[in-house]
Amino acid sequence: MSALDIRNVTKAYGPTTVLDDISLTAESNEFIAFLGPSGCGKTTLLRMIAGLETVDSGQIHIGGQRIDELAPGERGVAMVFQHYALYPHMTIRENMAFGLKNIKTSKTEIDARIGEAARILEIEAFLDKKPGQLSGGQKQRVAIGRAIVKKPDIFLFDEPLSNLDAALRMRTRLELAQLRRRLKATMILVTHDQVEAMTLADRIVVIHGRKIQQVGTPMEIYGRPANRFVASFVGSPPMNFLPVTVSGAKAVATLSDGTVFATAITNLPESRSWELGLRPEHVRVNDTGVSAKVEFVERLGERTLIYARLSDGTAITAEDVGLSRLNMGDEVHLSIDAQAAHLFDADGRGYHAETA
Amino acid sequence: MSHSRNQKWREVGVLISLIVLGLIMVSPLIWTVMLSLKSNGELLRSTANAFNPPYTGENYAAIMANSGVFRWLLNSAFVSTLQTLGVLILSSLAGYGFARLEFPFRNQLFLIVLFGLAIPEQAVIITRHQMFADLHLHNTYPGLILPGLAAPFGVFLMTQYFKAIPKELDEAAMLDSASRFKIFWKVLLPLTLPAQATLGIFTFLASWNDYWWPLISATRADMFTLTVGIASSQINFAQTSGLGYLMTQAVFASLPILIVYIIFQKYIVRAVAGAAVR
Repeated sequence: MSALDIRNVTKAYGPTTVLDDISLTAESNEFIAFLGPSGCGKTTLLRMIAGLETVDSGQIHIGGQRIDELAPGERGVAMVFQHYALYPHMTIRENMAFGLKNIKTSKTEIDARIGEAARILEIEAFLDKKPGQLSGGQKQRVAIGRAIVKKPDIFLFDEPLSNLDAALRMRTRLELAQLRRRLKATMILVTHDQVEAMTLADRIVVIHGRKIQQVGTPMEIYGRPANRFVASFVGSPPMNFLPVTVSGAKAVATLSDGTVFATAITNLPESRSWELGLRPEHVRVNDTGVSAKVEFVERLGERTLIYARLSDGTAITAEDVGLSRLNMGDEVHLSIDAQAAHLFDADGRGYHAETA
Repeated sequence: MSHSRNQKWREVGVLISLIVLGLIMVSPLIWTVMLSLKSNGELLRSTANAFNPPYTGENYAAIMANSGVFRWLLNSAFVSTLQTLGVLILSSLAGYGFARLEFPFRNQLFLIVLFGLAIPEQAVIITRHQMFADLHLHNTYPGLILPGLAAPFGVFLMTQYFKAIPKELDEAAMLDSASRFKIFWKVLLPLTLPAQATLGIFTFLASWNDYWWPLISATRADMFTLTVGIASSQINFAQTSGLGYLMTQAVFASLPILIVYIIFQKYIVRAVAGAAVR
C-alpha cells in the first residue's frame, strides 16, 4: 500500500487549468521532490495534499484512506511553510503545542513530544522565546519542530529553504537530509531549486505545463531526461542543444558545419528534425575538435565555463580547467563526448544511449 | 571632544524646549485646577490670582453635597465603555469577515461601509432623532449607545489589519486542527491588538467628548452625560455665580480622560504616530 496515492487529479482556477490529470504514488518513507519553474503548479499540488486547495476532480489517498474530502487537520499531514508561518504572539513551546492541544493530546504527552523534537532540532534553548526573537534559520527549525511533534504520516515542505541565505541554506539542506534519516517518514518537498531536489530526494517529480514531465531518481532525471524541457531545466548551466541531422541504426549526427558524431543511441524513430543534447561537462576545450569563438568566460574556481558560438551561429557552453587562459574573442576547439550525447526529436522526446 | 560637547548642548536645548512646550500644554489644566480652589467672590474680581493663596475647598464640598456630576460621570463612563466594547467586537468580527470570508456581494457591502465614512453626522441626525423618538429610545442608555456602534472607520481599520496578516497563519492553524472560530480567537485576534488599542482609544475619547447626540437624546438631567451636564450648569454668559463650581466640574470631567491618557499613553502615541506615517 502506498503512503501517498494521487489519482487523476485536476485543478483549475476559473478558465485556467493549472494541473491536468496528475497521477503519482509515493512509497512509505520515501522523499519526493516536486521540481519545476515558478507557476508550474507544484505548490498547488502540495496544497491539495494538505487540504488548503480543493481538488476539482480525481482523488488523493494517504495510507489507503481517501483524504481529499477531509479537513486539513484530519489528513495526517504536517506542513512546513515557505515563510514559516509561526504564530508570532505565542512562544516556541506554545507554537509547537497548539496543534496537539487542538486534538486534545494530554499535557504529559505534549511535553514529551516537544522535548524530543526540541532535542533533535537543538532548539531547547529558545522554547520560551517568541518567533520574533529568533533568526531565520532558528525559525526554520521551529517550523520543522512544529511539524515533527504531530507525528504525521506525511511531511510537506513548501520551499522551506528559499528564505535562507546561501550558506545557511546549504547547512539546513544537510540537516534536512540527516533529519530525514532519523525520522523515517514520507516527505514531500516543493522546490524550484534543482540542487535541493537532486541532493534530498529519492525521486524527483518534474512538473511543467500542467503535467508531470518525468518521475525518476535524481540521476535518471539528470542522465536520461524524458524530454527537452526536463533536459533544459535540470542541470546548471543548462544542456546545449545543437540542431543535427541523424542517420543510421546507431545514430550518427551531423552538425550544420559538417562535423559528424557517432552517438551510442539506437532504435530511433522517424522525425522531422533532431537536436543533439550535450551537457557542458561533455564539451571540453581541446587542441582539436569543432571550432568556436569565445563570447564569455565564467571562472568558477575549480572549473571555467566557456560560452562560445559555433561557426553556424549556434550557442554552446563548454567546460575548461579552473586555470583557463581563455579570454573573450579567442578561437577555441571543442571536443565533444558523443557517447554521452542525447537526442531529442521534433516533439522534444528524449533518446539516450543504453549505457547512459 | 567638541563634537560631543556640541551634541550635549543640543540635547539640553531640546530638553528645555520640550519642558517649555509641555508647560504651555498643561497650563490650562493647572489653571483650571487652581481656579477650582478659589471662592466665587474672588473669581468675580479677577482670575489673575490663581497661583496665590488663599485657596478654599468649598467648591469640592459643594459638588460632593449636591450635583448631578457623579451621575453624569457614571453615565459617561457607562456609555463610553459600552460603546467602545461594542465597536471593538463588531469591527473585529466585520473586519475578519471582509478580510477572510468569501460571501456574495462582499465587495459591494464593503463599499457601502466605505460610503459610511463619507457621511457626516449632521446629515443624518434629524432622521436619527425621529427614528429614536418613534422607538422611544430617547432618555435611555441604548439611545445614547446605539448610534456610536455604527463605526465604518472601525470596520475599515480592522478589515485592513486582518488583510495584512499573512494567510499562511490561518492555513498553519487549519493544519493544526483549529476550528474557524479558534483561528479567529486564538491566532488572528491577538495579532490585531495594536489596532484594537488604537480603535478603542479613539472610540472612547470620541464617545466621552461627544456633545451633540447626547444633547439631543438625553433631555432628563439624570440621563445627561458629563458634557451635556456641565453645559447645562452654565446658566448665562455673564456667569456671576458658581464660577469656581464650574471649574470644579471641569476638573471632574477631565480626570477620567486624563487617567485614560496616562494609562494608554504608549498606545496613543503609537496610534497617532502610526496614523501620521500612513
